[in-house]
Amino acid sequence: MVLEVKKISKNFGGIQALTDVSFSIEQGEVIGLIGPNGAGKTTMFNMITAMFPPSSGEIVFMGKSLSGLKPHEITKLGICRTFQNIRLFSDLTVRENVMVGNHCRLTTGVWQSVFRTKYQKQEEKKVLEKADEILEIVGLLEHSQTTAKNLSYGQQRRLEIARALASEPKLLLLDEPAAGMNEKETNDLFDLIMKIKSLGITVLLIEHDMPLVMRICSRLVVLNFGERIAEGTPDSIQTNKEVIEAYLGVEEEEEELA
Amino acid sequence: MLSELINPYYLQIASFILLNIILGVSIYITLATGQLSLGHAGFMSIGAYTSAILTLNHNVPLVLGIVIAAVFTGLVGVIIGFPALRLHGVYLAIATLGFGEVIRVLFVNWENLTNGAIGIANIPHLGREILTLSKDIGFEPAALGLRNNQFISLAVFLLLLIITIAVIWFFIRQNNSRIGRAYASIKMDEQASEAMGINITYYKILAFGQGALLAGFAGALYAHMTAYISPSDFDYHRAVEILIFAIFGGSEVIWGPIFGAIFLSSLPEVLRSVSEYRFMIYGALIVFMMAFRPQGLIDMNVMNWLKRSKSKKKEGKHGTGSKENQ
Amino acid sequence: MLIEQLINGLTLGSIYVVVALGYTLVFGVLNIVNMGHGEIFMFGAFMGVVVTNSLELPLYVAFIIAIVVTAILGYFLERVALRPLRGKDGVSHLAPLISTIGVSIFLENAAHHLFGAGNKPFRTSFSDMSFTVGTTTVYYVQILIFVIAILLMAGLMFWLSKTKAGKALRASAEDLSVASLLGVNTKRMITQTVILASAMGGIAGILVGLAFNSVNPQMGLSFGLKGLAIIILGGLGNVRGAMAGGLILGLAETFVVAYGASGYRDAIAFIAIIVILIVRPQGIFGTATSGSRG
Repeated sequence: MVLEVKKISKNFGGIQALTDVSFSIEQGEVIGLIGPNGAGKTTMFNMITAMFPPSSGEIVFMGKSLSGLKPHEITKLGICRTFQNIRLFSDLTVRENVMVGNHCRLTTGVWQSVFRTKYQKQEEKKVLEKADEILEIVGLLEHSQTTAKNLSYGQQRRLEIARALASEPKLLLLDEPAAGMNEKETNDLFDLIMKIKSLGITVLLIEHDMPLVMRICSRLVVLNFGERIAEGTPDSIQTNKEVIEAYLGVEEEEEELA
Repeated sequence: MLSELINPYYLQIASFILLNIILGVSIYITLATGQLSLGHAGFMSIGAYTSAILTLNHNVPLVLGIVIAAVFTGLVGVIIGFPALRLHGVYLAIATLGFGEVIRVLFVNWENLTNGAIGIANIPHLGREILTLSKDIGFEPAALGLRNNQFISLAVFLLLLIITIAVIWFFIRQNNSRIGRAYASIKMDEQASEAMGINITYYKILAFGQGALLAGFAGALYAHMTAYISPSDFDYHRAVEILIFAIFGGSEVIWGPIFGAIFLSSLPEVLRSVSEYRFMIYGALIVFMMAFRPQGLIDMNVMNWLKRSKSKKKEGKHGTGSKENQ
Repeated sequence: MLIEQLINGLTLGSIYVVVALGYTLVFGVLNIVNMGHGEIFMFGAFMGVVVTNSLELPLYVAFIIAIVVTAILGYFLERVALRPLRGKDGVSHLAPLISTIGVSIFLENAAHHLFGAGNKPFRTSFSDMSFTVGTTTVYYVQILIFVIAILLMAGLMFWLSKTKAGKALRASAEDLSVASLLGVNTKRMITQTVILASAMGGIAGILVGLAFNSVNPQMGLSFGLKGLAIIILGGLGNVRGAMAGGLILGLAETFVVAYGASGYRDAIAFIAIIVILIVRPQGIFGTATSGSRG
């Protein structure tokens, strides 16, 4: 068991964003977290990565409770995420963005950095190699010196993934990675996620592109109005009455809460 | 020969420009994590008073006094840094402004320690200490054909030059490392940095402490360069002056505040007639910069452009410079 | 003794309120801390000196001139330091703060050149007139200041809640873009707000001149900083909070001076804001949601 979400609830000043949501993820799975807009998917990500603390409930990662941990501590434990509304370090280069992602696996401090000790040099060399390796995987190596804000939209989404991969996660949370992508980019994304899976990284995916979700996920968790309404294989979800109602009934009229 | 070239007055001005560079770097470090401080004059005064009191009243050697003052100010910065974490933008600016004022009022009122508004005089002078020291080891300025006052101003200038270069070197190196990347990412997006595994609490406090330490260090040097300090040397105007170095020169790269400090502190010397209107010009300059070039004169693009034109010169016709320029 | 201090405190406090209202109005509508407000206020005070002492005209003329001059300064501040930054891409939210610092530095030093660096007395025909009730001495100037301050506060409250322009201003304070959709001319609204705030600063300047009988170019800074402290105390953009905060600060300072630590009087405001910012960033009277703005 990589991740266990146990009865998570979140209340934002009177608005119930999540109610007693539970699910769990097995090692090596690609799991989809789906639901209409405003269902609480991103809020769930924010709970797992401790951007906000849950109102109640507990999240356990590899047998360790995440309660009370800070976001950077959670990243260090091996959970990293991307953002739905791309949040790259826009003035840094592509490579620097990835290097920042690797930050928590490095140890040099101020003095070592300033006096460039042997250890620091080795570490910097390793980071550079690592960054290029990851950029190769996501197909951005040729742009490594480009400033992040000058990338195309699809490239920025890939860089978000690269940056998260640099933290050497065991569990990767992808928040709508296909949003705004054309068909070719989406296909590339599919390949990329499969590659990530083959590296032994477990993936939790929020996505509205249903064909992609159905193709890539082994299991789906469906949220609606902050509650888990269904869980199962893509096939079973596709025929689930409650899920169909949730999607048809609400349409996309609500804003995502967080 | 040498003695004709050395004008103590110009050397003194040059030394103060170097001091302003250190102050410019000190505000740059805090800004590097996106924290705007209007309290650097306060930190500067803590350094100045600490070293002045230690050397004058407790016979602490001058060098040790400066070091203790810098470290102590750094610690104060760390302590201030914790509550400052909770504040952002305008709130942080006003709180640090308030901090600076509280420190000033404290120094005005703590009369038995600071001599109040009158200030502290006869602080051991950096140059004269060096002169005594070199005479002790048997070196006479006359051997170089220098008068004592020429030697003093030359010694102070050279010492400050070395210190300033060391400070710039230190922070350039730090910028090009894991620490520098963490600072830059925090400045651009705090939450995203944290999600990428950066301990933002640690780095923001580190930056605040480093900025304070450097300002305190500059303050201590100031005390021993002028031999006289009073609370009014470290008022709101000083805080704004330090900030202007970074605003005018730019705070994206370290060369910004350095350029700002050099340009703005030599301006009144070059144009004697305007020195009286210095602060009016500063004021107008701030407004102008915010409206037309809020990132300051020297930004990333300027640096890239400089680098490219330099590498073009080097590589001659084989230059590949503009490839990455989109 | 106690009552005398209470009267002194209320007088001082009511002046602070008028200073702070200028900051609050601008912050309420624009979400900007106008660092130049203190210096505009100082110009108002100097206008009072020039009109009553140099030109020997009556006090009410001083008020009119001060209002006109500070209103013009406010207009220029908005045009030069605020408008160019509005709606521009990549402008940090700190840019207006910094550019108004520029204005404040400029005005302070302009005042140095125009009026000289030292203290100027602000004498009026009734400066020293007082009456005594029991053991308590009350100066007419104090009553005048208090009455004017109360009238200003009441007038502002009435204007904000009852008039069309005031309602438009409050709508703008809620949300500028929504207000503009509802047909409020936000550009004019913003200019009006800054002018109104500055004119109030002009009045406050004369009141301070009357109360302290002294005017100098640095007073903009010291009072301006206190005005800032008050709006943080009362919650940024909160008109009632500014009123309460001003009175509290005036009383606190007066009593600190009366009972010992007079030297630390100017630190109270700042110790208060540092404590407030750390313990309750939204201000004593602010609501939780409006306080955490970056």
